Amino acid sequence: MPTRPPLLHIENLTTSFHTNDTVVQAVRGVNLHVNQAETLAIVGESGCGKSVTALSILRLISMPPGRFDSGQIKFNNQDLLSLSEAGMQKVRGNDISMIFQEPMTSLNPIFTIGDQIGEAIIQHQSATGAEARKQTLKLLQKVLIPSPETRIDQYPHELSGGMKQRVMIAIAIACRPALLIADEPTTALDVTIQDQILSLLSSLKKDSEMSILLITHNLGIVAQFADRVNVMYSGKIVEEASVDSLFENPMHPYTRGLLNSLPKDDSESKLESISGAVPHPAFLPKGCAFHPRCKDAMPRCQQQPPLTNTTKENTHKVACWLYEEGGESL
Amino acid sequence: MTTLISIRSLKKYFPIHEGFLSKNTKTVKAVDGVSLDIDHGEILGLVGESGCGKTTLGRMSINLIKPTSGEIIFGGVDILKLDNPGLKALRPKMQIIFQDPFGSLNPRFTVERIIGEAMMVHGLAERSNLRSKVIEIMQKVGLPGSFINRYPHEFSGGQRQRIGIARALSLHPRYLVCDEPVSALDVSIQAQIINLLQELQEKENISILFISHDLNVVKHLSHRTAVMYLGQIVETAPTKILNKNAAHPYTRALLAAKPSTNPKELSSHIPLSGDVPSPLNPPSGCHFHTRCPEATDRCKTEQPTPFQLEEHHTVQCHLYN
Repeated sequence: MPTRPPLLHIENLTTSFHTNDTVVQAVRGVNLHVNQAETLAIVGESGCGKSVTALSILRLISMPPGRFDSGQIKFNNQDLLSLSEAGMQKVRGNDISMIFQEPMTSLNPIFTIGDQIGEAIIQHQSATGAEARKQTLKLLQKVLIPSPETRIDQYPHELSGGMKQRVMIAIAIACRPALLIADEPTTALDVTIQDQILSLLSSLKKDSEMSILLITHNLGIVAQFADRVNVMYSGKIVEEASVDSLFENPMHPYTRGLLNSLPKDDSESKLESISGAVPHPAFLPKGCAFHPRCKDAMPRCQQQPPLTNTTKENTHKVACWLYEEGGESL
Repeated sequence: MTTLISIRSLKKYFPIHEGFLSKNTKTVKAVDGVSLDIDHGEILGLVGESGCGKTTLGRMSINLIKPTSGEIIFGGVDILKLDNPGLKALRPKMQIIFQDPFGSLNPRFTVERIIGEAMMVHGLAERSNLRSKVIEIMQKVGLPGSFINRYPHEFSGGQRQRIGIARALSLHPRYLVCDEPVSALDVSIQAQIINLLQELQEKENISILFISHDLNVVKHLSHRTAVMYLGQIVETAPTKILNKNAAHPYTRALLAAKPSTNPKELSSHIPLSGDVPSPLNPPSGCHFHTRCPEATDRCKTEQPTPFQLEEHHTVQCHLYN
């Protein structure tokens, strides 16, 4: 496979929120990249900073209280953080678009879905109303909404949750973005509807060169859908690997804990849970943020945050002292 | 094993008033003729999508919602025929844990009052020994007794759910309804709560109706599983059999829709089409026929009746009858 430069490259991103008495670093020095036509998943529990990472890419963090303390977000070699607001508006919905978790509240209740899909087309492609409507109808067909001619003039409240998420996807792909950010796209949906939406996203992915950044807490969706995974904990990426490698050989104790806490198919034994709870982002423990919950914690973990280690093949990375010299061999 | 609670053709219709002076009345058939038995010490999983009536069924089973018709026999007594004092005497035996650990605890009460109130009401504790009893229960669910004077906002989601469990267990119930107790929690915390419930169930031999939309959790925890669709139970079987030989097309679709955590096992099934129809206007015949890949003409007109495939395995589908 010829190596092309990554489509999106985040370097050392730190996003923090300043309130009257505390500073919360939601994202603490994240490095990640999304290759062309690749699906990268970010997995983690609530509050680990996965959504803030996604919102930072589109600069949808309200400032104040938010602030970018450091880092670069390079998209096609252009730093998004140094772009003007007008320049950023050309990127949003055009080159990079986003699907949100809550299809119920992400659509505007006082506009028809046709208006809302057409808006993106009119904004970014300077199309006329009639052209936009034609394209909108095609998009509705593409996301498999039955009888698009009647649906196009309906309001969001007339649609079910799964339909609304299809409309969100139609808005997101209206301008053929190079990168689609899907932030928990199916969490609010039922299993059978989740299944429909995921199969729609896979078929859209196959038909285009689109890259997807998938944010989820559901490891089943990661296994089925992603090419590569980043595991996040307390604002940092603790492990990065290909999907096969991560599920076959999870290295970070947190990743292992997550996989072990899933109910297995064949066992009736107790689940192995991770003790304790995610620390409050304003009061993170010193050293490795995971050490109070870690079974393998060493004295060193309480002192210094771990460095990122890479395996020989340069594909599996883990931030844990266990894999430093003297730890387990790679 | 003997039956603890027996539900017979239970129905709940909610009237919806519309139009000028509420002249038009429609009914939502939230639960439409459900019969279920739960044995002593059994965990029965109840699975279904949102709006299928599983929460209504759970709440009715402990008489938090009055059914439209039907019978609920609990330990030999029809609880729907009881007067208020009779019901109060039975209440400690039937408890519930709610889905939302944030909304189900009174923010103005301390943990002592949240857990202790029911014990005081039912005369299981007195002012003098309340504190020690509450601490005992808190320790049982893995909460440090030193937290007794704290308020709900000082706890994390997982800890609040432990408080909810402690409150339910304080009365030594025989029957516990768990209404999506882990779906608001993160994976790592979910496993803690599941383990706790399993441990307590084994220790105290409680019967549990475990309501969830998460098939993995139900599979792990429950002895028997009932699948619900639009107000009706479409299939009941011991969990192992259900997962191996699901008979109803809806159950099979649910099982196939669950994403596998093995990236080597990529799914190739065709997703179920359409949405769950509105319970205001359910389809004629078998409610599932609009989405069923195996529907025939008979399914459109004739409603299937429960059919016993094998012992303990019942399915409501024309394919088998």
